[in-house]
Amino acid sequence: MSTCCDTTPDRSPTSTLTLALAGNPNSGKTTIFNALTGLRQKVANYPGVTVEKKTGRCHLPATGTDPARWASIIDLPGTYSLISRSPDERVAMEVLRGLRADTPAPDAVIVVVDASNLQRNLYLVSQLIELGRPMIVALNMMDVAARRGLDVSPELLSKELGVPVIPVIGHKREGIDQLKAAIANARVAPLPDFPLPREFKDELLTVGTGLAKLDSGEAASTAASSGANKDVPLGIAVPPRAWICTDDRSRHLDRYQAIAERLLIGDTASDLSAVAARDPVSSLLASSRSRLATLGIEPMQADIEAHYRWIETVSSRVTIPLDELAAMGNPAGPGDVLHYESPKRRHLTDRVDAVLIHKVWGLVIFGLIMATIFVTIFWLAKPIMDGLQEGIKALGLLVTGHLGDGPIKDLLKDGIFAGVGAVVVFVPQIAILFFFLSVLEDSGYLARAAFLMDRLLAKVGLHGKSFIPLLSSFACAIPGIMATRTIEDRKSRLATILIAPFMSCSARLPVYTLLIGTFFVTAGAFAQAGIMLALYALGIVAAAGTAWIFKRSLLRGPTPAFILELPTYKVPQATQVARQVFNNTWSFLAKAGTTIFCLSIILWAMTYYPRLPVAQANNVAKVAVDRASEDYRQRLIAQGDGEAAPDEKQIADKAVGAEQIRHSIAGRIGHFMEPALRPLGYDWKMGVGLVGAFAAREVFVSTMGIIYSVGDPGEETADLSKAMRADVRDGKPVWTPLVAVSLLVWFVLAMQCMSTLAIVRRETGGWGWPIFMLVYMNALAYVVALGVYQIGRIWFV
Amino acid sequence: MQKACDFAGCNHSGSVDSCGLNKLSIGCSGCVVSVGGDPEIRRRLLEMGFCNGASVEVIRRAPLGDPIEFRLRGYSLSLREEQARHVTVAPNAIG
Repeated sequence: MSTCCDTTPDRSPTSTLTLALAGNPNSGKTTIFNALTGLRQKVANYPGVTVEKKTGRCHLPATGTDPARWASIIDLPGTYSLISRSPDERVAMEVLRGLRADTPAPDAVIVVVDASNLQRNLYLVSQLIELGRPMIVALNMMDVAARRGLDVSPELLSKELGVPVIPVIGHKREGIDQLKAAIANARVAPLPDFPLPREFKDELLTVGTGLAKLDSGEAASTAASSGANKDVPLGIAVPPRAWICTDDRSRHLDRYQAIAERLLIGDTASDLSAVAARDPVSSLLASSRSRLATLGIEPMQADIEAHYRWIETVSSRVTIPLDELAAMGNPAGPGDVLHYESPKRRHLTDRVDAVLIHKVWGLVIFGLIMATIFVTIFWLAKPIMDGLQEGIKALGLLVTGHLGDGPIKDLLKDGIFAGVGAVVVFVPQIAILFFFLSVLEDSGYLARAAFLMDRLLAKVGLHGKSFIPLLSSFACAIPGIMATRTIEDRKSRLATILIAPFMSCSARLPVYTLLIGTFFVTAGAFAQAGIMLALYALGIVAAAGTAWIFKRSLLRGPTPAFILELPTYKVPQATQVARQVFNNTWSFLAKAGTTIFCLSIILWAMTYYPRLPVAQANNVAKVAVDRASEDYRQRLIAQGDGEAAPDEKQIADKAVGAEQIRHSIAGRIGHFMEPALRPLGYDWKMGVGLVGAFAAREVFVSTMGIIYSVGDPGEETADLSKAMRADVRDGKPVWTPLVAVSLLVWFVLAMQCMSTLAIVRRETGGWGWPIFMLVYMNALAYVVALGVYQIGRIWFV
Repeated sequence: MQKACDFAGCNHSGSVDSCGLNKLSIGCSGCVVSVGGDPEIRRRLLEMGFCNGASVEVIRRAPLGDPIEFRLRGYSLSLREEQARHVTVAPNAIG
């Protein structure tokens, strides 16, 4: 036996063992990963793709031949197959084949198999067998299978597959120690004789021979010229299975036949795509395909069918219906027979589903659950968020209290502490939303929610799973966009991210309230509520419209099949939920938080610099104080006494504050933008407000307060309303109801939230999409606000 | 209207020999005859087990009419109507 045929993982104690954890979605893979690695986990991204890379370390106990050691475990994305084009499956396949430079090739593969869904799970196993890496099977959910009246025998399955099969119950941590101990016994499974049609096998021989011929011919010519690729004349970087152990007689396909099969069924990973495209090879394949077509054989289908035939045989050999066991007088039987229900009775999941996805009750319960989530993140998170911000503000005052006035103090107080506040303010909503999401996902309800809502969202090209992210975006787009992680289909996920900011978030509410309250006072409460509702509706319409357009333009192309598994209901595990909440909150703080922090310091600097010259500041203060005391004197004469004298310092501060912002970069940008904003009805002050709103939309209100010298209004906006209504320029009021409407439309549609941009960058893996979002949303906002203002002017004047 | 299977609750019309999976009524089941559609969708459906004459049962439709939940090979999954129609089944009368 040659050294290349060592079928067990490297035994040398110095080497680190790399294991890959593979399995179908919903097979309980994550639970097993958590059980194996505990808290020793790292979450990152595979470079170049938005697929999450989870790795962890696991301590393996000493076994007969091996000392105790550490292994690093790569948790591959959950996949049904290793051939498909989806980024998740591509990454899984590339890691398993050792084609990714960023990830070491695994020494062995642990594949998680859901015993209650044996056949479909074995399909992935059958592909892993072909891959030829040492393998071990973790047979999960035996308890669920038993409840469904099936007993899967690990011993028999092990015999069929030729690799160790360890029964585990992931969520109870049962069998995890046995799994760790068995890793040393992982071995390459013997390749089964998949029952391919005879004609297909003949064709593999033909194509394989052809490839071999090409290979030797090319080898002679290229070896002379370059000397490179001497051993891999076809340019195949990674050996297909048959290459690993050429002297193993049980592996009946020789390497060229193995390559021929992969090429014919379209399994062209990065190691083969160049080969497939090369001319003699591509024509060889084309003629072979047409010969097969005349026989009515389609290689891909023939391959999958052959795999499933083998699976059907294996599963019938290893599965024992518990009814039969009982009939054989063995009521105790193997497995978890205590929970056994006759398969004739509907099992629990079916009975629960009869209510939860019922035509009427299903929708009612769905509505109640969504209402609970929404109320919680919209209102219950508010006091926590306010408390956090106040706490950080107080801390900032405490720290900077003993510092003298000056830029250092202002940077600390209004830049750094406010920046930290701008980041942590999102934490309560993110934590709460991910608490609900992981409870819903782990229990199995999330898939049902998608099932219920899919029809509605499919109309505009979205996915049933887009519903919760979009709903959450009414509270805040940040947690909403993070929640799109539950959408597997990339295009639907991207479309959902791109439209999520159209949902009117809670940061827009203060702006809506201020503008509606100031300029539609006479309209009455009913009309005011109507305007508010119209603004929300406008956002939804814009979202639906743009989603529809994106799915037909930017994100066009074949949509991957909508396949939604409805997993068995389970009670969520508290530790899993806590881990999800922690991981997601932490990933926000670490990845998006830093960007938000930096941007908020830049924004602070834009309103802070350049400083107003001291002489000018003193002058402004003096003028304001003089005018205020003159006003006070006049009023005193008119009304008699009783009114307190105005606070001179406060008036001076407010006036200087207004002059400072006018003088700052933000103020200059406002002035600079004015020509562009005039057609929308805005003046430079609103321009400054829009710049400030980038920190968070509600900052618009406080910026306006500073500009109109009424100070930060907080909840009390009466003074600001008065000042805004009184603002006159060239004899005409600056603000009219039409200007307010135009500005409201702008606020509904525009992308002016740096935190959203930061999170989109984090979730899409680059600045491209956030910049696109900034441009398209603001262009749309500009055009619509322009239309509203210009048409409105014709209408009303 | 011609009934395509013997199941009492089934009232779908179409060929008796075979029909699209989306045409099957709730509670009916059929055997997979063929799978169409573009290669990616076809591959996915085959890989999910819609092959070798597997028996597929229609469990329910979503309250809004789409998607449809099916059971095959001992597990349930749901497909949109537009995908289910790519799967041709020969109805059988298991019910």
